[in-house]
Amino acid sequence: MFSKQKPMWGEKTQLKSSYDAVIIGGGLHGLATAYYLAKEHGITDVAIIEKNYIGFGGAGRNTAIVRANQRTQYNVPLYNEALKLWPILTKELDYNLMFNNCGNLNLMHSEAAMKAARMTIATAQFHGVESHLIDAKEAKELVPALNISEDITFPIHGAMFHPPGGIVRHDAVVWGLARGANKYGVEIHQQTEATGIKTQNGKVTAVETSRGTINTKQVLISAGGYSAALIYGMLGIKLPISVLTIQAMVTQPLKPLLNHVVSSGAYHCYANQTLKGEVATGAHMDQWPNYTTQNTAHYIKHQAEALSEFLPCLRGVKFMRIWGGLADMTPDMAPIMDGNDHVEGFYMDCGWGYFGFKSCSAVGKYMAQFMAEKECPEILKPFNYRRYEKHQLMGETAALVNYTPDN
Amino acid sequence: MALTITCPICGKRNGYEFRYGGEDKGPRPEEAGLTPEAWCDYVHMNKCVAGVQKEWWFHKDGCGSWFTIHRDTTTNLEVKGPEADK
Amino acid sequence: MMTRFNQLPTLKIDPTKKVIFNYKGKTYSGVEGDTIASALYANGVRIYARSLKYHRPRGLYSLDGECSNTMMEVDGIPNVRTENTLLKQGMTVKEQNVKGSAEKDMLGFLDKLDWAMPAGFYYKMMHKPARIWPIAMKQIRKTAGLGEISPDFEMPGKFDEIFPRTDVVVIGGGPAGMTAALAAAEKGLRVIIMESRPWLGGFFDYRTAEYKDGVALYQRGQDLAQQVEANENIRVLKHTAMVGAYSNCLVTGFQTGTDKDAFNERYVEIRANSVIVATGCIERPLIFDNNERPGVMQVGCALRMARNYGILPGENGIFSVGHDLGLEAAIDLFDMGMKIGCVADVREDGQDPELVLALAKRNILLLKGWVATEAHGKKQVNKVSMSSIDGMITRDFDCDVLVASAGLTPVTGPLTMAQIKLRHDDFTGFFVADEMPENTFSAGRILGINNALSIECSGTLAGIKAAKACGACDAAEVEAAEAAMKALPGPVRGSKLVTAPVKGRKSFICFDEDTTIKSVKQTIDSGFDVPELVKRYSSAGLGPGQSGIPGHNLPLYVAKYQALAGVPVKPTTVRAPIVPTFIATYAGTNHTMHKRTPIHNLQVADKGILRKIGVWERVRYFSEDYSCKKEIENVRNNVGMLDGSTLGKFRLHGPDALKALQRIYVSDMSKLKPGRVKYSAMCNDDGCVIDDGVVVMLGENDYYITTSTGRAGQTVEWFRYHTRYDGWDFSMVNITDSMGVINLSGPNARKVFEKITDEDVSNEAFPYSGFKEMLFKDVIPAKVMRLGFVGELSYEFHVASSYMTSLWQLLKEAGAEFGIQNFGVEAQNVLRMEKCHIILGQESEQRTNLLDVGLGFLWDRKKADAKTVGAVALRQAENDPSRFKLVGFKMENNGRAPRDGALVVDSKVRGYIATARDSFSLNEAVGMALVESELAKVGTRLEIYEDECGDERIYGKVVPMPFYDPDGTRMKS
Ligand SMILES: Cc1cc2nc3c(=O)[nH]c(=O)nc-3n(C[C@H](O)[C@H](O)[C@H](O)COP(=O)(O)OP(=O)(O)OC[C@H]3O[C@@H](n4cnc5c(N)ncnc54)[C@H](O)[C@@H]3O)c2cc1C
Ligand SMILES: [Zn+2]
Repeated sequence: MFSKQKPMWGEKTQLKSSYDAVIIGGGLHGLATAYYLAKEHGITDVAIIEKNYIGFGGAGRNTAIVRANQRTQYNVPLYNEALKLWPILTKELDYNLMFNNCGNLNLMHSEAAMKAARMTIATAQFHGVESHLIDAKEAKELVPALNISEDITFPIHGAMFHPPGGIVRHDAVVWGLARGANKYGVEIHQQTEATGIKTQNGKVTAVETSRGTINTKQVLISAGGYSAALIYGMLGIKLPISVLTIQAMVTQPLKPLLNHVVSSGAYHCYANQTLKGEVATGAHMDQWPNYTTQNTAHYIKHQAEALSEFLPCLRGVKFMRIWGGLADMTPDMAPIMDGNDHVEGFYMDCGWGYFGFKSCSAVGKYMAQFMAEKECPEILKPFNYRRYEKHQLMGETAALVNYTPDN
Repeated sequence: MALTITCPICGKRNGYEFRYGGEDKGPRPEEAGLTPEAWCDYVHMNKCVAGVQKEWWFHKDGCGSWFTIHRDTTTNLEVKGPEADK
Repeated sequence: MMTRFNQLPTLKIDPTKKVIFNYKGKTYSGVEGDTIASALYANGVRIYARSLKYHRPRGLYSLDGECSNTMMEVDGIPNVRTENTLLKQGMTVKEQNVKGSAEKDMLGFLDKLDWAMPAGFYYKMMHKPARIWPIAMKQIRKTAGLGEISPDFEMPGKFDEIFPRTDVVVIGGGPAGMTAALAAAEKGLRVIIMESRPWLGGFFDYRTAEYKDGVALYQRGQDLAQQVEANENIRVLKHTAMVGAYSNCLVTGFQTGTDKDAFNERYVEIRANSVIVATGCIERPLIFDNNERPGVMQVGCALRMARNYGILPGENGIFSVGHDLGLEAAIDLFDMGMKIGCVADVREDGQDPELVLALAKRNILLLKGWVATEAHGKKQVNKVSMSSIDGMITRDFDCDVLVASAGLTPVTGPLTMAQIKLRHDDFTGFFVADEMPENTFSAGRILGINNALSIECSGTLAGIKAAKACGACDAAEVEAAEAAMKALPGPVRGSKLVTAPVKGRKSFICFDEDTTIKSVKQTIDSGFDVPELVKRYSSAGLGPGQSGIPGHNLPLYVAKYQALAGVPVKPTTVRAPIVPTFIATYAGTNHTMHKRTPIHNLQVADKGILRKIGVWERVRYFSEDYSCKKEIENVRNNVGMLDGSTLGKFRLHGPDALKALQRIYVSDMSKLKPGRVKYSAMCNDDGCVIDDGVVVMLGENDYYITTSTGRAGQTVEWFRYHTRYDGWDFSMVNITDSMGVINLSGPNARKVFEKITDEDVSNEAFPYSGFKEMLFKDVIPAKVMRLGFVGELSYEFHVASSYMTSLWQLLKEAGAEFGIQNFGVEAQNVLRMEKCHIILGQESEQRTNLLDVGLGFLWDRKKADAKTVGAVALRQAENDPSRFKLVGFKMENNGRAPRDGALVVDSKVRGYIATARDSFSLNEAVGMALVESELAKVGTRLEIYEDECGDERIYGKVVPMPFYDPDGTRMKS
């Protein structure tokens, strides 16, 4: 363990001229898909093409909240499976993903919100996922720092408490999956940018990269926030996506204060304490599409105002670092996973907004199955690309679609 | 980042006074014979350009007008003209 | 207590004024102007804290707070950087993260276990077997984190915020910043200068070396400060740390208040036309074994302790430095009484000959090309090993303070934050900006210059460039300033040394995270080959001081270690806030603001229970038990009054007003008739109902419109958005706040109404859906509509806000004999539910369109030319059998109502309960649900799954809607 360290995901190698499958994007979804392709389906001749370094995208910037209390029955089983995979992956990968199943507390600030929460909770319970509606006092018992008085902008009425959720160490997932995939022979090519996809007769034939062309019959784009631009640029397929910058920040480290993830839709704010003791909090999105990942003065102030109200003791704590990443938002707050539709051999896994961390393990497993069997697994079918033109938005949010990415 | 937007009436102002209104996709299509795919293309689909795009903005905390600008989505800065989409 | 210099002209303390404070339960005293750390130092404290991971003793190192070495708990606030927090009367100061004390920490043994904690060790252990992880996790949480805060801690003090606009903002109040500010101000521009220390002066402020003509640098600094303070065009924000720099010249910071200010701290957000970055340099830490042992401190720290705070930091000093400031400091400290065993300079040559001479005069040994390799002493340095930089010759020296500094490093944080790309410059060793964004300039030592006159000149140049950017001077003046700059000495060569010749097991590149050179090597060997990744895996630069200590050294070291691979030196990212900032400060004044209706006070006087709903604060209940039984029964049996002022209200007029209505509303609005109210709905492009309300035609091309409360803010925008390509001529005005609404409902409503008017308001003269403009008491003009949202005879009075109180009281008096009572929003919710009138968002959502929620009757399909928003989607989805439908249901066997949000299930989820109540009016439980269309037929049994129900189910049956007064006789007669 403490002897000379070896590169975790292999020495740098030459790019070969062909692979059985190419994955564009060394993020969570690309790495997980590659891992399962190799492990479950014996497809090991796989190249992951990453333009920067693995984990450069959302994978290394998210706040790693995991949970399985989604709104609809299409989502709950997928996220539930993902949630159950953390301990299993920790063992399989022999890498400590540091799953802290501390539970999530989602605050409700009105009668209407309590009703909405009840529907979500009933949906979770119906699918065997633990989740409960609790009142403000019970919430305060769980999180003594909560302010349950009436005199804040959005007084707390109660909360949705989801004990099995929590946080995972995001970097560990990236590095663990990379090492795991590499052990089966998957090649990870960093500093390599995918620039095009070649097709012939409606079939994928090759991927062009900054280091040359690779022949392949199967390609997956799982480039996080960049997916929509790449898919349109490479294949002319438009997506119902808006790419927004989402920000998060941490305070200076503290001794244990918050024992659960606390979040509030009304305040646009969540907070949890990392194992290092920092209070990690997010996540506001500026509503105009951009690829900058820049943070804003507006937001750090907003966040302070929100926390001042519902976790007032944090007023005596200092923010230490803010950063941004990309969130590719869809109108119905659910991702798009599809393949072999427009072009045979082309797969996409995108639109993950700010929930692509918690899902990545299960999605990797099913996207791998999709690519290996060329047949969409039942569980992924509702997430198809065509649902928007069929007027079957998924309802993962109740909010109606506006002309602006407003969720 | 501090976004600023130039309103044709009020001039350059703090970006938070405005609401983004989507990529410029042209006038509403004729309804006759509009296929679900074409409808969806107009209503939901985006190019998500990483570069300069023409887009709509509304001056919500100001004069209340809708107008278009060109903005580079990789810098968040307004630019004068369309230039080549990257 | 050591004796302090009390006569120096550079002092920032007032030795005559004592400040008493409490440290670890005992009373101590400092003086006015002291920081907490300087006062403690004067009291003999040397060990301020223990490090995060290895619990190594830590002491005063920089004075500007780049690391956590002097963080303590002050008055219940954790992680206070005592080295730059002013001491105040009565403060309570404690150590943190120690078991025992910082002096004697029982966890100090961890320093010997470093071999068991290599880089990334967390990832590789503690998960086998799985059951140890939860236990390990608890332990990790306890040992991690530094300070502690109580969950009921209340932050004392006042916080404020300002958002000034200015022409030029100058970041940094040193000589370059001050000359820049003066130059810009001279051109007539408004200037704001921010300086993080409580005084202007920068690095001139504590130096006695000569500036020019016998004037010392500190004197020059004071002189410039006076000029700046006296200049009317310059607003001076002292004790204001810049924390964020953004594109388009937005700069943020926070200011610490003085005794005279009305705030303890305030958030400052400056919008400027031009930014000048004059943040100068800090020192690049020298890396050798035990380089953070208490007693090791940077040059500026040692000198400022003496010059600003009157404390000689040690008796026997040893210096290991890499720049002339180090030599200068040695001379000054020697002259102030410090014995100096030797000054090692990592540079083999290039020293200022005058300084070399001055050292020689004082018999101070100068070792060129030498460096400290190890600090000795268990808790405090008592000896230091020195060697030539090739490591060949070594010598030991005794000392009680080791002044160590590898070189200078520019404070480029503001540049990086403003998205400026930096390049490593081999000559200066600095990260420099080749290209600056529009209207942003830098000045002073950040450019690599060191000569006092050059520094000032660079400030003047930047000030003039900013003036040019603001249109206040011409290019010729810029050229002249540039020429003046060229005539002066340019950038100086920087020291190249990255680490002393050591293995690095105890050589710290980041103090906060206890990251050693050895662990950085392990990290790179593990495949993390770019500085950004090294940072993540080794944690260097992720602690409370962020990149303050490792920011420059880490990229240098990563490049050096991979030299064979030709890796360039790339800076790591600097992120806001550059100085850690209180959440209280960012929050500033933090008002909670809500709109109130014109008769808010009357409602409160009537014991209304308020709720914050969207932008409003309004009454939801008039019953303490929230069931609203009395309110409901009174509306059903007598008459009730509701304050409906939050409704959106608009006037739409102009030649193309009708076209706009046709685009937005699903109904055919050309059928509107004067004197009638038309209820209709607006959809989004998916066909979902985005709003509903009524439209009244007031005259030709002139309409009055109401919308739901929640949409009031967005309706004008919505109309204009959907007509933005058409160039139609219409005006739309939001008059929501200038009008109030009273809803009068119940079988006795007409009787009440008749009492306040002489006009005929009989059912024939004023029928259902009628509209009248009326005048009450000869003065109150009102728009009156006959509607029926709650299912009873009801009138809605729209009047100017200023008349609301009068009309309300008029109605109240008139209604007294009929038992008129208030009712609130929740009662209305139940009443309308019994009538199956939907509330958007409650009986509708993203998956339901106009047709699904039973409002299809509003849609006129024959106006394709209008391109009505939502029509296409409705047509395309019309025959889809898989959609949700809104149904009414009653409970089987007279059972109770299910809770809102309960599910309708079989083996799958098939829908959910939108609203259901035990109806007082109907004496049974009724409700509305959204269910898959297969289940929507009347008579279908609904299996209802509630949260926490276990295996129990309750059952309902789909029934026709509405439940109450199905033919609408009550409403319409
Ligand atoms: C601030 C923030 C907070 C978040 N919090 C949470 C949370 O709490 N819980 C949660 O579940 N999710 C969260 N998310 C969302 C989550 O991080 C993302 O959904 C997730 O990372 C998506 O994974 P991915 O693999 O699809 O994409 P990414 O992880 O973004 O990876 C995409 C990769 O593709 C690479 N790439 C792009 N273009 C190319 C190209 N042309 N060629 C080669 N490679 C390319 C990129 O460099 C990148 O490494 C958060 C996101 C952010 C930004
Ligand atoms: Zn405007």
